[in-house]
Amino acid sequence: MKRNVWIVGSLAIVCAFVFMFAAGCAKTPVVKEEVALQEGESVIATAETAPAKVEEMVQPKEEAKKVVEDTSMKEKELWEQLLAEASNFKNKDIYFAFDRYDLNAKSRDNLTKVADWLLMHTEFEVTIEGHCDERGTTEYNLALGERRAEAAKAFIVNLGVDIGKVSTISYGEELPVDPAHNEAAWSKNRRDHFLVYPSKK
Amino acid sequence: MLRKTVGLMMIILILLWSSTVWSKVYIDINAPGFQKYPIAITDFKNIGTTDDRENLSVWFSYQLSHYLKLTGFFNIINKGAFLEDPEQAGITIEGVNFSDWSSIGADFLVKGGFDSDAKALSAEFRIFDVVEGRLIVGKRYEDTMEKRKLMVLKFIDEILLALTGERGVFDTRIAFVAKDRDVSEIYTINFDGTSLIKRTRLESLTMFPQWSPDGKQIFFTSYLNGNPDAYIMNLATKRVREVTSFRGLNMASSWSPDGSKLLLVLSRDGNEEIYVKDTGNGRLRRLTNNPAIDVSPTWSPDGSMIAFVSNRSGSPQIFTMDSDGRGVSRLTYEGSYNTSPSWSPRGKRIAYEGATNGRFQIFSIDDDGGNFVQLTFERGGGESPSWSPGGMYITFVSAIGGKKKICIINSNGLNLRVMGSPGGSFSLDSPSWSPRLKLY
Repeated sequence: MKRNVWIVGSLAIVCAFVFMFAAGCAKTPVVKEEVALQEGESVIATAETAPAKVEEMVQPKEEAKKVVEDTSMKEKELWEQLLAEASNFKNKDIYFAFDRYDLNAKSRDNLTKVADWLLMHTEFEVTIEGHCDERGTTEYNLALGERRAEAAKAFIVNLGVDIGKVSTISYGEELPVDPAHNEAAWSKNRRDHFLVYPSKK
Repeated sequence: MLRKTVGLMMIILILLWSSTVWSKVYIDINAPGFQKYPIAITDFKNIGTTDDRENLSVWFSYQLSHYLKLTGFFNIINKGAFLEDPEQAGITIEGVNFSDWSSIGADFLVKGGFDSDAKALSAEFRIFDVVEGRLIVGKRYEDTMEKRKLMVLKFIDEILLALTGERGVFDTRIAFVAKDRDVSEIYTINFDGTSLIKRTRLESLTMFPQWSPDGKQIFFTSYLNGNPDAYIMNLATKRVREVTSFRGLNMASSWSPDGSKLLLVLSRDGNEEIYVKDTGNGRLRRLTNNPAIDVSPTWSPDGSMIAFVSNRSGSPQIFTMDSDGRGVSRLTYEGSYNTSPSWSPRGKRIAYEGATNGRFQIFSIDDDGGNFVQLTFERGGGESPSWSPGGMYITFVSAIGGKKKICIINSNGLNLRVMGSPGGSFSLDSPSWSPRLKLY
């Protein structure tokens, strides 16, 4: 039983590396489009920026000043988009079973996406918050929350994310998403929450 | 060797002496089957020459009834059932017809008298054993009128000392955390339910208050600076000082009985480990070394042992170890989730919370693993127990009306009392019983 878990775990890690390799070999815009498609909302924005870039290429050289303005506008837009993408990780919580901190297949999938994004956007870092449901002691839950955050950290660091760009904090059972006292609420509260933000320089 | 023998003889002498003075302990408060004693309290007699303008006669009997009821050891017999003619009866043993009281089911009877003028008050109190027809203890107090509640509380201490072998705990408080959304602060409330006081204004998440043995400071954890760090607050000056702020968890756990050391949980080495910090030289020493979660360390009353929680055997269970971290031994085997140990001040027993039928309830067990007892059966469950001085009561939290509230039970699990809250939106947690304070 335990051995199976190991095999599945190792397979997942191998798969993740293969995915990263594929992503690294392909052209960057393709991957970006994929990210945008996954996020759903940014599809239109990507479609709009693509033709604009083509126009830039054919701009006559005498209008260099305008081009600089344009690119700075584009950079700003791109940056805004990155911030939006980073912020979107707030909606990508991963969930745990009661009194457990092992990552399930869905969580590993989700974490792989976090890791991929961070690997491509090294100017960003992440804080992983570990949370618990209200059952059990506050002390034990604070430790459990830390284990949940540390489990996610170890996973993305194994995928190559710089350990210096990943911090963790446990809030135990103190900050539930759903304050109700039933399994539906508890299962939402046993989570890791991701805050992705630009590194302070 | 000689010294040891002399010391032992002293103890025996004291025991003999005290047993002759207090004759016998009537109530074994730890007995699971203990039932409350029926007690009658008559209105007090004006034995002075001044008119009873303040209606002290009823005031004394009302206050005695109120506080004796709060102790959880007595049922107060309704005055309407009394057979005695108050005009004819006296307040000393000669003036008591014990059959008047035994026939209405009283085991004990309290009588008293007062003599007051505008400022000065003298009051005498007596408690009688109705069954044996004898005086148990009588006291006379002289002070100002303002001190009359103090007289009542002092006599209740005498009653409890005579009947249970322990004084009351009206001179104690419970510290706890009250959380409203994402802010929690430390509050205290007196044992009698009065004086609800907000102690911190950190506008942060604040957790795990623990009293210093002198009752002057509180050790706690707060996210004040963004990370769960450990602090100590001086209650009088309200000054807060940092104890540890390592990366990861800094969990305030327990103050040693002599006040010289603090137990903490730190995760600075990559996983949660138990540390002891000397309050004098600040030296930090690690006591556990295990990849599992190790939390909630608490000292035995003599400081020689530590109980703690670890999931090293797969699920969270209570363990004990020597105060230097050696001799780890597992204490709980019933159930798959046992946490939050609290060592009785009498030694021997440890209270904790355990999962049973999908709920958490309070249990207690001998420190060698024997005499396992479930103390609470609340629908709202029971968590985070803490013993009163003397070990007569346990405070814990239970969800009542959807929000966690501070509750008190007798150490045998009976007589639940729910304490007040700063407001309906607050969820209360982590109660910690103070040592005896100078409240009266």
